[in-house]
Amino acid sequence: MSVRVKVRNAETGSTVDMELEEENTVQEIIEGAAGYWEKDAGAYVLRKGKKLLRGPQTVLVAGIANSDDLELIPDPEGG
Amino acid sequence: MNRPIRPGEWDEDRMERSRRVGWIDVDRLRESKALVIGAGALGNEVAKNLVLSGIGDITIVDMDRVAFSNLNRCLFFREEDAHLRSFKAEALADRVREMDASCKVRGIVSKVEALDEDAFRSSDVVLGCLDNIAARLHVNAHCCHHGRPLIDGGTLSTSGKVQVVIPPEWPCLQCSMNRTHFRTMERRYSCTGSDTVFFEPKLAAEITTTSVIAAIQVRESIKVLCGQRDRCLHHLLHYNGLNNQVLELEVPLDPECPLHSGQQGK
Repeated sequence: MSVRVKVRNAETGSTVDMELEEENTVQEIIEGAAGYWEKDAGAYVLRKGKKLLRGPQTVLVAGIANSDDLELIPDPEGG
Repeated sequence: MNRPIRPGEWDEDRMERSRRVGWIDVDRLRESKALVIGAGALGNEVAKNLVLSGIGDITIVDMDRVAFSNLNRCLFFREEDAHLRSFKAEALADRVREMDASCKVRGIVSKVEALDEDAFRSSDVVLGCLDNIAARLHVNAHCCHHGRPLIDGGTLSTSGKVQVVIPPEWPCLQCSMNRTHFRTMERRYSCTGSDTVFFEPKLAAEITTTSVIAAIQVRESIKVLCGQRDRCLHHLLHYNGLNNQVLELEVPLDPECPLHSGQQGK
């Protein structure tokens, strides 16, 4: 069963709708959204509410449901 | 009989105002050892906050030399350091020592990968002030192995993060990473066949974000050292200075993470 979610770009505030299958992974969502916004190569994380989602988790395991709002956040690696 | 007080005696104790903050145990901080890994912008700010907080023993590790491009955000570096190409760890240690002669400060010029195990083992808290994922993973693994709390900071332009790792129960840095982190790490090594970092991307950075992140790192360290772990970040703070956003995010422990083997279900 597919679910439709909204992914927000934390840097710009813009959003994109994504249609996902249960077996899609969080890292596929990250890469899909980063590619859509033509983000610089770098590390990104995805959050749902106050929880960071683990990359290998599937949509099903991560508990991502229809109409969820997710946010793509660049992971700062500089010091 | 109570000890008589003298007028103005409060101003003779440099930590007097800190003692007034109820939960801060100044004497415990004076006995504490902090290991600062990375003496760049974050390392400078972190070292400043540690010495002003009264930490009694600070070790600073970095292999790099001061460059002019460091001078817009590194409090303790001077133009002379850039001219002389001074080692960052030594220059920073010298300046921190000037701030409090009673604080033991050591600068170690070394790659983090070559750092002696004792540096981790003997520290009460480790502060990650690094600029790349590979070094972060190295420090993370050693902190987990030796059971040392790690307070890791990172910045990118006007964004930053702080993650608190208290081994063995808390999720570690590796638990919060995904394929984009490992690809970023691989790109750094892809220019050579050796283990030498060849491709070193220059990341956007500015001092106000660095100051915020370093301050949070040191405050979390003080909580750890003063027995206030319950009040620490759980587990990750993301800061966006441009959009005025601060997020505290829970990181789930990764059951596949090699640093947490045997801990699943805890």
